[in-house]
Amino acid sequence: MSILADIVSATIVFMIPLLLVALGGMFSERSGVVNIALEGIMIIGALCSCLFLRYMDASGFGAAHPQWAMFFAILVAGLTGAIFSLLLAFASVNLKADQTIGGTALNMLAPAFAIVLTWAIQGQGQTTILIPTWARITQETLGIPVRDTFLQLFLFKSFYQTTIWAVFLFIIAAVVLYKTRFGLRLRSCGEHPQAADSVGVNVYRMRYAGVFISGLLGGIGGLAYTLAAGSAFQSTVAGYGFLALAVMIFGNWKPLNILGASLFFALFKILGSYSGSIPFLPKFDNIKASEYIYLMLPYVVTMIVLILTSKKSRAPKAEGIPYDKGRR
Amino acid sequence: MGEQKRRSLRIPGGTSILASLISIGVGLIVGLVLLYVLNAKAAGGAFVSLITTGFRSSDKFAKVLYQAAPLIMTGLSVGFAFKTGLFNIGATGQYTVGSAFALIGAIQFQLPWYICLLLALIGGAFWGIFPGLFKALFNVNEVITSIMFNWIAMFAVNLTINNLPMMLAKYWGGAQMDRTANLAQANPGALIPRLGLDVLMKSNYMNISIFIAIVFAIVAWIILSKTTFGYELKACGYNRNASIYAGINAKRNIVLSMVISGAFAGVGGGLYFLAGTGQYTLLKQLLAAGFNGIPVALLATSNPIGTIFSAFFVSYIQVGGDAMQPDFVKEIIDIIISVIIYLAAFALLTRELLSRGKQRREDAALEAATAHATEAKDEVK
Amino acid sequence: MNEYVIEMLNITKEFPGIRANDDITLCLRRGEIHALLGENGAGKSTLMSVLFGLYQPEKGTIKKDGEVVRIKGPNEANALNIGMVHQHFKLVEVFTVLENIILGVEPNKMGFLQKKEARKKVVALSERYGLKIDPDALIEDISVGMQQRVEILKMLYRDNDILIFDEPTAVLTPQEIEELMNIMRSFAAEGKSILFITHKLNEIMAVADRCTVLRKGKCIGTVDVKDTDKSSLSRMMVGRDVEFVVAKGETKLGDTVLDVKNLTVPSKLHKNNAVKDVSFSVRAGEIVCLAGIEGNGQTECVYALTGLEKPSAGEVTLLGKPIVFIAPKREKQPASALKGAKAVLMPIRLRSKLGMSHIPEDRQKFGLVLDYSLEENLVLQRYWEPAFQKNGFIRKQNVRQYAEKLIKQYDIRSGQGPVTSARSMSGGNQQKAIVAREMDKNPDLLVAVQPTRGLDVGAIEYIHKQLVAARDNGKAVFLVSLELDEVMNVSDRILVMYEGEIVGEFDPKVTTVEELGLYMAGAKKQAAERTVH
Repeated sequence: MSILADIVSATIVFMIPLLLVALGGMFSERSGVVNIALEGIMIIGALCSCLFLRYMDASGFGAAHPQWAMFFAILVAGLTGAIFSLLLAFASVNLKADQTIGGTALNMLAPAFAIVLTWAIQGQGQTTILIPTWARITQETLGIPVRDTFLQLFLFKSFYQTTIWAVFLFIIAAVVLYKTRFGLRLRSCGEHPQAADSVGVNVYRMRYAGVFISGLLGGIGGLAYTLAAGSAFQSTVAGYGFLALAVMIFGNWKPLNILGASLFFALFKILGSYSGSIPFLPKFDNIKASEYIYLMLPYVVTMIVLILTSKKSRAPKAEGIPYDKGRR
Repeated sequence: MGEQKRRSLRIPGGTSILASLISIGVGLIVGLVLLYVLNAKAAGGAFVSLITTGFRSSDKFAKVLYQAAPLIMTGLSVGFAFKTGLFNIGATGQYTVGSAFALIGAIQFQLPWYICLLLALIGGAFWGIFPGLFKALFNVNEVITSIMFNWIAMFAVNLTINNLPMMLAKYWGGAQMDRTANLAQANPGALIPRLGLDVLMKSNYMNISIFIAIVFAIVAWIILSKTTFGYELKACGYNRNASIYAGINAKRNIVLSMVISGAFAGVGGGLYFLAGTGQYTLLKQLLAAGFNGIPVALLATSNPIGTIFSAFFVSYIQVGGDAMQPDFVKEIIDIIISVIIYLAAFALLTRELLSRGKQRREDAALEAATAHATEAKDEVK
Repeated sequence: MNEYVIEMLNITKEFPGIRANDDITLCLRRGEIHALLGENGAGKSTLMSVLFGLYQPEKGTIKKDGEVVRIKGPNEANALNIGMVHQHFKLVEVFTVLENIILGVEPNKMGFLQKKEARKKVVALSERYGLKIDPDALIEDISVGMQQRVEILKMLYRDNDILIFDEPTAVLTPQEIEELMNIMRSFAAEGKSILFITHKLNEIMAVADRCTVLRKGKCIGTVDVKDTDKSSLSRMMVGRDVEFVVAKGETKLGDTVLDVKNLTVPSKLHKNNAVKDVSFSVRAGEIVCLAGIEGNGQTECVYALTGLEKPSAGEVTLLGKPIVFIAPKREKQPASALKGAKAVLMPIRLRSKLGMSHIPEDRQKFGLVLDYSLEENLVLQRYWEPAFQKNGFIRKQNVRQYAEKLIKQYDIRSGQGPVTSARSMSGGNQQKAIVAREMDKNPDLLVAVQPTRGLDVGAIEYIHKQLVAARDNGKAVFLVSLELDEVMNVSDRILVMYEGEIVGEFDPKVTTVEELGLYMAGAKKQAAERTVH
């Protein structure tokens, strides 16, 4: 029972960053900008929000109002991620540079910047930022008695405010993309920017907006990842930005499919990590270090699904192509 | 003089070198500013060691060459794929598999170094098949396949090494549980020959790997610019439809390009680990070495010969960055490199726009001249 | 009230190195249909883009109802009630008709789309003007004609009363063109003013009140259509009398070069077959032209012949050798001939070696590697021949010499000769390079698809002469064209394709454009089995 609760809660907590970041990538690509810089954006968001949490902890505000501090940390993560992403927007929209190259530069910049800044702030050799223990939502936070029920086990094992926000942001993202004027215009820029331009939609502004939103969600996703991964930020998000990119393609650039894809991937990932303690899984007793088989699983399964669904996959038509007003 | 200057700007190779040099200059200035912001007192000294350490002594220079060799290979890997219109972000996985093949040959099967290097090449090529094949057969984006196969490579290699009895250091009396055997103990014959260069340059790091890498770069250059195969690969990269129209087997070329690209990355892994100065550690993180090929290739604008120089430059300032410690953290180097790439992205663009604009104007002038000529002819009639 | 709704006075628009519009004045009266005539590259589209706010002119003023206005973008144009149907439709393929119509002027509450409201207005407009559409269909699923109706509805939805039509008839059937003319007339009758860009004289004579002629960026003049005729308009357009007929002698027919039997090609756009059970042949020394409205299966037919696409059934032989042989599925095969025969699908390279050359429809998509130099493009079909490579290494010297020879022989003009990047060359010279490459292979069969598309009169004449020269040398030429003038002038035999079938075969000396039009539109069909030459 408790292992099942563990698995479910771990799945959700690992799914959140994938979901948020993949949704972010979706907004960017739907506006026509390939965002390979998600990894870097996550790192910047995580870096700044973790520093903010440290500051909140040191000032005493965090311990007194943990969830308010968390709320502000999420804002910091989103805003810093968004500001960082503007570097990509500038390169790919204004300068019409190759989007892959710009993204690669940012991916390289972010972890280096994180380490340099962490050093500068915390002193020599101090490259990890500890996350305060009060960041997690516990029974205590909500003022309910601790019980050993399945619900509580699964709910409070690793419950952070980011999870709640992720649910909200997912709904908002889906509604914005399909039900609003902004969403319609954004999508038109990723499909046929010339058409959008001809009816007075400002393609540059829309692409900036798409990238900005990807930075916002990517930054929050970076914080969510750090919370999920352990007790400290270590200037890396371990390739999760790239995984989110894969999840986005897997999810066919659609919110609901991305939700499914991130759940699918997280589930297999957690199955891999918990393979030892799940009774019904084969154990491969004659193979040493067989946990690696399970760790490999999510990637292999995703690959197979991608091959099977490749026919239906449809990327935004104009993604990756700089829009030039002069050439039509 | 002025005329000459303009002509040198017209040669595309010349302008991209100029663009890269300007980007490097700006990147270094950013680095200098950053050093001053972080620690004004130590900044000047650190910057000097950043830009001079590599040439300061023969052993430092040996370190530069030692690090440059695998960088050249991963840079070639990424650049070669770029030329065919593919983004090989999977150089890391191919590098990992190449390393594993080389080490298994060296330790488990006690093979000589050149066979191990060949195995590294085969391993990398093998791992390059997947993104190529999936793209050609199922039209799955090579970026996503590469990302997935990076992770699969890491776990598969960890699994394999754990299950081969002789691979780990402890079999050979080493203390650590988590890494492969020290080659000097396990099979000195698998070490890449040093040919006395180590004595000459007073460095354990020095071997012939840099020359091997340069040979590969030249081979890549010959393939791309001199052969019909390279002509086909580039045609596929620039315009897939036109290459199909011309009867070029585009799918086969996608696979081949990724295989060759993977082979380069695999050799990079082989060169690094067969030097004997590093041991493969069973990590749960991807090796950074493969990713470092991306900036190297970008800085060289995917030109194989340029890759030699850009890898040398990256390695050079990395050695310089190590020398800035402990006053500064060496990741400042990565910031400098990322600034350089960011700038190179649009320095390249500016150059292209300049030359395109110029060509368009020339073309228009020509067109106008032709039109006049035709009109004149008509009047004569 | 001012006589003119729009006055464009002394407009000059320059691009680097070229003056696209040079001191052009154009005045549009209320309720008139005003044609803008000119060759490709005369500056028509540039002038209209200036009016629509897509370009800013260097000199000149625009007046709306006598007041000077500055139009900085489509939004300003729209605010002045100026609307435009672009030559290449500006429609988002994965959006519905309704979404495309409202894009940019979406009715919304707090940013949320109010599609119901919009739908009512769109349906009302479509009924009022007889513009039949399905508001919920995706653009990618509807016909070109319906797409154009969507574009027109976009303008009406915005209450535009100055309507610009940029070459609207190029993709339409004669019936659809007639329908469009009627709609334009009804707009004019309502007091809307129409600017109609075209290079087709018939249409101007049929529908326009006045006509302004541009040539090489300059305004040649504005005339009342009722006071002029086609030949004087065409003189104004090209600046000289146009040779409408290509001089060519009698054909000397040789053996059958291309033989096509029961060719069926599936469509990528819809579930039906694009080419349905088509049979024909082309003999040495003749130009056979496949005519038809765009999108009736000509493209797929050519793709199947050249190897770019796989047919689902059929038998094609080139010089007696099978290049395609695929038995139809699920149907009983004739026991004798096809029994035991293996499917054949010859790769493109082998077809090329066997003697097929192909001037593709889209020169930038298929014909050229734009980032390659001219010389590299000139050997695109034969770089593998021993003359140009040895042991896999390219013989650059030979490539250079060959390129220089072709450049001279075919008069290909470029900035830097053989090393010019193909991207920087003009469209006409790009096409010349392709023609040179394909003709110099000395093919037995030349497949040329719209070889004169987008070229000026001089280049068109040149290419027509090359086609005739090939035919006179005893080659077989299979020409696909949408331009009826070209069809009539160049070919020796005309096949008309309609909805994937060949509905008629004609002798250009006997038939008329009007008759061809009826077949192209599907109004008539030759019932009897055609004689295969």
